[in-house]
Amino acid sequence: MGAQAEFVGVSGVQGWARALWGMRGAQDRARLGSGIQRAQAFMVLATLLYRASHLVVGVLAVVPERLGDPTACPGTVAALAVSALVYGTALRDGWFDRRYVWADVLVTGCLLPLAAAASGGAREPGAFAWAMLLSTSASAVAAVALPGLWPVVVVAVLVATNLPGYLLARADAAVVTGHVNSLVWSALIAWVFWRYLCRQGCQLDEATERAVTAEAHKARYAERLEHHRALHDTVLATLTALAGGGIDGNDPRVRARCAQDAAYLRRLVEQTSGSEPRREIGAALEEAIRSAESLGMRVTARFHDLPAVPPKAAGAVGDAVREALNNVHRHAGTGHAYVTATGQPDSGDGVTVTVVDRGSGFDPERHVPGLGLRSSVHGRMAEAGGAALVEGAPDEGVRVELRWPR
Amino acid sequence: MAAVISVAVVDDDRMLLDGMASWLGGVPGIRLVAVSTTVDGLLAAAPAPRDGAGAAAPCDVVLLDLRLRDGSLPRDNIRRLLGAGSRVLVISTVPDRARVVEALRAGADGYLTKDNDLSTLVAAVEDIAAGRGAHSPELAFAWAHDTGPERPRLSPREEQILLDYASGMTLHSAARRAGISAATAKDYLDRVKTKYRQAGRPAHTKIELARRAREDGLDVY
Repeated sequence: MGAQAEFVGVSGVQGWARALWGMRGAQDRARLGSGIQRAQAFMVLATLLYRASHLVVGVLAVVPERLGDPTACPGTVAALAVSALVYGTALRDGWFDRRYVWADVLVTGCLLPLAAAASGGAREPGAFAWAMLLSTSASAVAAVALPGLWPVVVVAVLVATNLPGYLLARADAAVVTGHVNSLVWSALIAWVFWRYLCRQGCQLDEATERAVTAEAHKARYAERLEHHRALHDTVLATLTALAGGGIDGNDPRVRARCAQDAAYLRRLVEQTSGSEPRREIGAALEEAIRSAESLGMRVTARFHDLPAVPPKAAGAVGDAVREALNNVHRHAGTGHAYVTATGQPDSGDGVTVTVVDRGSGFDPERHVPGLGLRSSVHGRMAEAGGAALVEGAPDEGVRVELRWPR
Repeated sequence: MAAVISVAVVDDDRMLLDGMASWLGGVPGIRLVAVSTTVDGLLAAAPAPRDGAGAAAPCDVVLLDLRLRDGSLPRDNIRRLLGAGSRVLVISTVPDRARVVEALRAGADGYLTKDNDLSTLVAAVEDIAAGRGAHSPELAFAWAHDTGPERPRLSPREEQILLDYASGMTLHSAARRAGISAATAKDYLDRVKTKYRQAGRPAHTKIELARRAREDGLDVY
């Protein structure tokens, strides 16, 4: 659904241009829009070319010869104007505006042939054939753009208003039959094309949706498997060993391992208690915390409302947290650190992470033992478009704040 | 006066009860007088006075598990224990934030996760027994990220102290960062607690609402 919303902004011009010149990569595919939108873009283009061929006839063949004809010049201009309106809006919005299509049917399809036949060319059907031609492209666009049985009505109206023109000129039965035939088949062919492309587009959209769902399912499965593996290696292994007996539960090593396993489970609950588990940032933090635990540190982690962030940002945050925890391990003189990660409600998908200890801290006025920390943490965050802040005071621990975006 | 603080534990995990008994057994100044898997059980079997003196008195502090398997509501459990004359420190394995917030609103004096050190637990019990109330980063975190509809309005200073304390800083460090004294920082946390308590009170009459507005400083014009 979210992906659908992104497609709405695709304009017709971009759409058909890409449909014609071919696509490059998944991003282009996404911008090109759904199957239906592609079908629409193609039909706008096809009927536009049809109309253009008729306008060319109108402009080239008629204007030089019949500048004296009172309807020829304004008639051609009217046809150009209405066509510009119909196709200009269709290219901009991706599809026809029905009101303009009706205007086209009435002006280009009905009034223009009648006026042309009634004024200059009444003596000879060939003289107003350019106007009759425009009527057939009006029939085609109506067949595509109007719903239900309206195209049939339009063809009937076009036949009914074009016939009097031929009658005035006393045209051959063959010419009249030929024109009616053109009106009907223009509509029919356009309609069949449109229905066919529509069906293909729908099938394409369904297939895409199925693929997306399958992909998401696969990702969830992989994540679950990952959790199961982690549980197997930690909690399950510990519990199994304890249940087997012969192990002293008060042994500090056993207790440390139990505490670590419990901390892992706690983080798992914290991460998944929100609306959706956020894989990137959650996994990055988990990795950093586990690597600190493997050094024998105790890490109290609290998460709230973790947002979805780009993998690069998540990686930078994870690396910076790891650096900060390493710094606690080396300099703070305490084996305990606090990691909190929260979404930033005001900036959408932002995240703030703090790494805090209650250790020996540093004196920012005198020397900066955290210089290495400062530069490495800053560097990593800045590269990914984030920011870092390192604060401390003697005997008051160190507070590292990481923000993304800046 | 260094009276011994009497403590009871209500938790449905027997292993935890046993562990608690041996943990608190070695702490001077604190005596574990009762353990139970339900609040009913605790109230029915009031602590036997070991000194042999008079009737059973309510213990000073009850450590209450947030989620009991008997399906009782934390809110009701807390009110009953308060009604019996004890103070309540809520404990849980995982900080279920909405419930933690609700427990404090219902009158609990503090909240700790069960993975804390003994020294932290003892300090909290002592603070609560002395009527000072206990603060903890996990409780501050629950308040700082409370998204419930009844969240009271906090001042920017209160928010900042709450967030910094929740991030693991000591109250002292959080105060230094904000440029205030540790005592003032604690005041801020106490104020947050009071606001939550008041948000938990039902307001029945217009007069009471007006009084509440005065208490909350809403009518400052």
